[in-house]
Amino acid sequence: MRILVGNLPYLLQGALVTLLLSIAVVVLGTLLGVALGIAATTRSRLARVLVAAYVFVLRGIPVLVVMFVGYYAFPAAGLRVSAYVAVGLAQIVYVAAFVAEIARSAILSVPEGQIAAARSLGMRRRAILRQVILPQATRIAVPPLLNSALTAVKQTSYASVVGVWELTYAAREIVERTLAAFQIFLGVMAIYFLICYPLSLAARWSERRFAFVH
Amino acid sequence: MAAIPHTPMIEVRDLRKTYGALEVLKGVSFDVARGEVVVVLGPSGSGKSTMLRCINHLEGYDGGEIRIDGVTVGYDTTSRGRNPHSEAVNARLREQVGMVFQSFNLFPHRTAIENVMMGPVHVRGVAKRQARELAAALLHKVGLSSKADQYPAKLSGGQQQRVAIARALAMQPKVMLFDEVTSALDPELVGEVLRVIRDLAQEGMTMIIVTHEIHFARDVGDRIVFMDDGVIVEQGPPERILSNAAGARLRTFLRRYQGDYAAGA
Repeated sequence: MRILVGNLPYLLQGALVTLLLSIAVVVLGTLLGVALGIAATTRSRLARVLVAAYVFVLRGIPVLVVMFVGYYAFPAAGLRVSAYVAVGLAQIVYVAAFVAEIARSAILSVPEGQIAAARSLGMRRRAILRQVILPQATRIAVPPLLNSALTAVKQTSYASVVGVWELTYAAREIVERTLAAFQIFLGVMAIYFLICYPLSLAARWSERRFAFVH
Repeated sequence: MAAIPHTPMIEVRDLRKTYGALEVLKGVSFDVARGEVVVVLGPSGSGKSTMLRCINHLEGYDGGEIRIDGVTVGYDTTSRGRNPHSEAVNARLREQVGMVFQSFNLFPHRTAIENVMMGPVHVRGVAKRQARELAAALLHKVGLSSKADQYPAKLSGGQQQRVAIARALAMQPKVMLFDEVTSALDPELVGEVLRVIRDLAQEGMTMIIVTHEIHFARDVGDRIVFMDDGVIVEQGPPERILSNAAGARLRTFLRRYQGDYAAGA
């Protein structure tokens, strides 16, 4: 345990990077995904087809491969971006595909009668979306969205494979130096758990809070 | 277009609608005068609800014409054919036509009073405080002042349906359409909803009521329209239609529903 305690400041620095990367990926990935999910429920056939293709393709690819592609795509295009940006963008794109599907199905699960009632009042499309569909779809979508956020946080650990320094990378450095793999990774486990714990609590809370009867 | 007071409030002319190969409305024509209450009876699948949903253009139709207060619904018929109205025009029409549904369709994420405020605030742009006053008055009218801040899930079916009526009235519609509004209710809750509708009839609201409540039809209807298989089979004053029903189809229908009523009583 002495080695873990001695290296804890270094691990916590890595944890901070993991936390920031997670926040960026979850927030931006969710926003992009929700926008795509809404687009997939509009009358535009083109939007529906494009989102469906996006989701279909990305769902069939491991996140690690998406990250490698993201990592090498920028240099291939003659662009120089940091590994953080490349990996972050790849993960955002990946998370958005799953979020789009959650958002789309939540919107479609709002009963037809709700829309008929809103239309019968003379409500316009935009008002119906904002006042009737999205508030109800949000309640349906929040528990699965929190699950997707949890998955996204844990997936940031793959970033270490392409040389992004964060919690898992920092841990591997310490292990190489000290050979105390068990201790260190036990500590890393605890840190990941602590980062995810509030999200897990929120997921459980939201399932009770939003369970709701039509 | 200026409204001409002595024209009918609702004119339905040769209304036709098909779903794929199925023709659900095969040329329906009738008028509803200002302040008149027309009750539509008919077996399930006779096209009553579809007709109602065509009148406020929740559904399009394939032939014929509907006018509300002189204005055509859904399409303009020109010499070159039918042009669908824009969504904005259809929405403006629906502002004037209140509708109440069999399944209530209250917004579950809004309280009773917020449901009633929805139209004025989000269609008319009325200030929330003013809309709340209007909504409170309407909830009082349907006897639910004490439930204003409850969510729909906490209300009985009869209470939900009364909130739904208040929600439709909040738009101050020229016409109210009722689509089997008591069919989903427990028998003991039917009366409170019918009372509210009867009050509206006495105030002179123009209404089309699709129902299976034959006693109620006799009670509040100025005229009864009997539909079967996508056409109007008979229409006339309740006493004549219900007491000495001429046609075999209407007699069969009445025997079934009044039979149910007697069996249930």
